[in-house]
Amino acid sequence: MLLPRFELHRPSSVDEALTIAARHAGDCDFIAGGTDLLQNYKNRLNPRGHVVSLLGIDALQELSPTRIGALTTLARIEESETMRRELPILVEAASKVASPLVRQTATLGGNLLVETRCYYFNQSEFWRRSKGYCLKAEGDVCLVVPQKETCYAAFSGDMAPALMALGASARLKSLDGERIVKLTEFYEGDGIKRYVLRPGELVQGVELPPSATSLRGAYRKLRLRDTFDYPELGLAVTLGMEGEKIRELHVCAAAMETVPLCFDDLTGSLHGQPLSDSLIQLLGERIVKRVKPVKNTALSPNYRRKMVMVYLRRMLEQLATAGN
Amino acid sequence: MSEPKSGAAKGVIGQRLPLVDARKKTTGEAVYTDDIRLPNTLVGKILRSPHAHARIKGIDTSRALALPGVAAVVTGAENRANFGVLPISKDETALAVDKVIFVGDQVAAVAAEDEEIALEALGLIQVDYEVYPAFLQPEDSLKDVADPAHKIHARTVGETNVHKQVDQHFGDVDAALKDARIVRRGHFEFGSVTHAFTEPHCVIARYDTDGKLTLWSATQVPHYVHRALVEVTGLPMHAIRVIKPMVGGAFGGKSDPFPHEMAAALLSMKSGRPVKILFDREEVFLSHHGRHPTKTDIAVALDRDGKISGLDLKVLIDGGAWGSFGVVTTYYNGVLSAGPYDVSNFRYSGKRVYTNKPPCGAMRGHGAVNSRFAFEVLLDEIAEELGEDPCELRLKNFLPEYTTTINEFRITSNGIAEGMLRAMERSGWKEKYRQLPPGRGIGAACGFYISGSALPIHWSKLPQSTVHLKIDMDGGVTVHAGTADIGQGSDTMLAQCVAQVLGLPMSRLRVYTADSDMDPVDLGSYSSRVTFMAGNAARRAAEQIRTELIEAASRLTGYPAEGFVLEDELVVYTPLPRIRMSYMEALTEALADRGALIARGSYQSPPMGGKFKGAAAGLSPTYSFQSYISEVTVDEETGFVKVEKVWAAHDCGRALNPIAVEGQVEGSIHMGLGQLLSEQFRYHDGNVLNPNLLDYKTLSAKEMPEVECILIESGDPEGPFGAKECGEGPLLPILPSVANAIHDAVGVRIRRLPVTPEDILQGIQKNRMERSDVAAKIRVA
Ligand SMILES: Cc1cc2nc3c(=O)[nH]c(=O)nc-3n(C[C@H](O)[C@H](O)[C@H](O)COP(=O)(O)OP(=O)(O)OC[C@H]3O[C@@H](n4cnc5c(N)ncnc54)[C@H](O)[C@@H]3O)c2cc1C
Ligand code: SF4
Repeated sequence: MLLPRFELHRPSSVDEALTIAARHAGDCDFIAGGTDLLQNYKNRLNPRGHVVSLLGIDALQELSPTRIGALTTLARIEESETMRRELPILVEAASKVASPLVRQTATLGGNLLVETRCYYFNQSEFWRRSKGYCLKAEGDVCLVVPQKETCYAAFSGDMAPALMALGASARLKSLDGERIVKLTEFYEGDGIKRYVLRPGELVQGVELPPSATSLRGAYRKLRLRDTFDYPELGLAVTLGMEGEKIRELHVCAAAMETVPLCFDDLTGSLHGQPLSDSLIQLLGERIVKRVKPVKNTALSPNYRRKMVMVYLRRMLEQLATAGN
Repeated sequence: MSEPKSGAAKGVIGQRLPLVDARKKTTGEAVYTDDIRLPNTLVGKILRSPHAHARIKGIDTSRALALPGVAAVVTGAENRANFGVLPISKDETALAVDKVIFVGDQVAAVAAEDEEIALEALGLIQVDYEVYPAFLQPEDSLKDVADPAHKIHARTVGETNVHKQVDQHFGDVDAALKDARIVRRGHFEFGSVTHAFTEPHCVIARYDTDGKLTLWSATQVPHYVHRALVEVTGLPMHAIRVIKPMVGGAFGGKSDPFPHEMAAALLSMKSGRPVKILFDREEVFLSHHGRHPTKTDIAVALDRDGKISGLDLKVLIDGGAWGSFGVVTTYYNGVLSAGPYDVSNFRYSGKRVYTNKPPCGAMRGHGAVNSRFAFEVLLDEIAEELGEDPCELRLKNFLPEYTTTINEFRITSNGIAEGMLRAMERSGWKEKYRQLPPGRGIGAACGFYISGSALPIHWSKLPQSTVHLKIDMDGGVTVHAGTADIGQGSDTMLAQCVAQVLGLPMSRLRVYTADSDMDPVDLGSYSSRVTFMAGNAARRAAEQIRTELIEAASRLTGYPAEGFVLEDELVVYTPLPRIRMSYMEALTEALADRGALIARGSYQSPPMGGKFKGAAAGLSPTYSFQSYISEVTVDEETGFVKVEKVWAAHDCGRALNPIAVEGQVEGSIHMGLGQLLSEQFRYHDGNVLNPNLLDYKTLSAKEMPEVECILIESGDPEGPFGAKECGEGPLLPILPSVANAIHDAVGVRIRRLPVTPEDILQGIQKNRMERSDVAAKIRVA
């Protein structure tokens, strides 16, 4: 498939990138590894006339347990001994993204901003035209839940829930300056809006609280094939124990809705309680009741919801014993 | 893992040899169609139908033609010639004539200086459609169509969209069902799966100033493309040359002559320049020609002696938009179920219908896979109900060797029982069946498959395979054949057959195949025919050359020709082994005063089969046989199946090259597991919802089980060095053996493919509920 024509810019600093983006405001995308953006461009999904590559910005390459630059590739995270020791949940999540080949170029920043997915959206121009397009690109009605306001495309990035569960924040920069937004507050809106990032603003990386390394964490991913596939459910759980009692517990999920979900409002009240089977059961039921996947991926919404419970229980049991 | 029957024979047969093109492929040196760059080539692109069924009221190509850089545009109005792989259902045209019949149907083709211009030109073509109701469910196609204009094709059964109907009855099935000790029935549904080969379709057509058309295409059957080109272009056959470059996988998906090949030829004739058309992945999916989805109703009866006394099959086959190989498919869904067991009464009723979806065609295990699944699962159920061992039940029912089936297939070599016993022994079947812990299970299934269709598609007295050999003073052996190596290794096989007869190393062989100007006609790579037919032709050609070399040696030494053999590049007089000379010495003598040695060998199937209608379908000079045992783990909370190990016994007659045979067995297992567990065309109305390799779930290496190939060498009396097919049969038993293993693990029977984790989970939960119901009842009582 042929890419549409665009002008490629290669700045070497964040400020330069922001200036170029501002100059072409409204007709411009950033690109990092391109593993997501270029396929969408080939499908003529909202392509722009200007593309600003971030790959020449060395400042965004850092990798430590407290700061990860947006350009850090998932392969680097996966292979890092330090990360494996300090934050194994991120290594686990990174190693489950796409395929080894894609992870060589896929970046963390791109993963946080990966386009939401839907059977009716991730199609060629020919395909979409034959269906009359949809809300998310060129059309005015949703083909999954027929109405004209909301897009239900699923957020399908694997890193976001894992980072959220560690309490990470995104470091954003625009010509107006820098700001730091907790990942739990970064994502909002439907499958089209998705996040609070403003036009022309870029992600420099993420920041993690030093205490994150004290949490036990696990990431599991539901999908038909154990490689290549996007998550049908991506569940991240982090747990801190004080003796037999829960000190801290976070559960976050990808691929259930248009944004990654964090259930701190359900887990917060459990702090101080022992991690019992009945607690896990109750928490699972509450989460399952909360999530509302729709029918736009390979596995059925009903099944995906059911698996939240199974995964949650297995992961908590694993984390509970991991500490002993 | 295979043990040659009688010691280690000399020569290259039976050796584990890398394929002759392996190095070129792994280094990127191999030339596929898209790698060919002819000067002045135009890019061809195809405008496709956005509708599943519509009348073309008009096409305006003037704006496209006016676009600078556009060299030619063709539409169906300019060429209405029909073609199709089977002479009995030629229902295709290069481009849609008057109406479109599936989303993706070719409406117009453009040749332009580059891809961007070609795509822009497609956008400038105005097509005015009148949308017709689409037939998407096979059941709808059984009904009479109210408005004849809405029939998908003119030639069907009555006013329906039924393409082909087959009814066969051998013995008395009703009586068998009535008198049976046990009868099992089932309704099975099979989704639509496709080949998912690596190399997309690609074609280059060049019509030159001499009025000759050359076509390079990624095809498995150059000869049928050749024939179709004659019909579409009107050129005489001798003015057309078809060449198949290296092909990156086909599995049946490149065995039809295709409309895009015809379109490329027409564009080149119109523009006077070479035209290349390369599909993107979505186009490959739309072009499809994969396995026919079926709805299969089946009854199996076992009599009081434990013999399979009745098989009753009724199959509704969804053919998609074109005929393709569908008439054959319709027969195969029935006739290839009449083994590997001795079935004493057999009835089959099959209907293939047209629908407004991408066309189905031939795919590895053509026609046999779905019915085989249903049959093997019911056998398992019968064994379960009787409390018998399903392997023993099969052993009791296998056809012997050298026999005839109820539908008059001639069975020759047959190693199925040996395969079953070996698989049982290697897998520890007796210790495992019904004895593994919950969630773990083991299952068995068998199969058999044709080793080349005995009757050609086009009636002709020409041999089905012909091989030419040439040896000149350089001592190299040139093999010419019309066979199509599509990755399965047929070039290697030809070289081995010749090298074996002449006692030469593989390095002396050079194989040139699939070029209609250079090579004798071969019917191509389908129906698992190449090793058996072309292998025999190659062997026969080589035997003539051997005779000439031996006669030369006899002349030089004065010893009688009868005592000489060729081995290790020597010609040796066996009664007195010191009387010997090098191959080159004998060759030099043989060439004296006459020049290069030339030989021709050919193969034609012997007459066989019954006299009834449809008797030819499924006839083969020999059959391969499979006995598989699979072990699985099922996650009882998620429904995910992990296939742990497969013991795959396959009777290939003789493993000419065990690496190649094992590769076919493993590849077949991979493909079959995809159909069972994950692969499926999903549709939204007439649109394929997952026309890409991310959403169409071909299994990855991570899902592959360990495979132990157990090669059974029954030594076919007519096969080259005893060999028969190994490319398709090995797919058949993997699906039911795993399904039976899933049942052994968690008690869930599978009726619909692909089976999702959710289906299995539901089955497990339903069983639990039934069990607790029973428990509750017992408590109440
Ligand atoms: C076959 C295949 C399978 C895949 N499977 C998965 C999977 O299982 N899980 C998964 O999470 N992803 C998957 N992906 C998607 C993708 O590869 C990853 O999400 C990857 O991490 C994206 O990173 P990238 O650098 O390639 O992003 P790009 O394609 O470069 O960018 C993605 C988006 O982010 C924007 N962007 C990138 N960096 C920045 C930045 N620093 N600031 C602001 N905007 C930015 C771009 O404008 C674009 O909109 C898959 C992709 C493929 C091709
Ligand atoms: S959810 Fe609806 S609007 Fe969003 S991409 Fe899918 S079809 Fe389009």
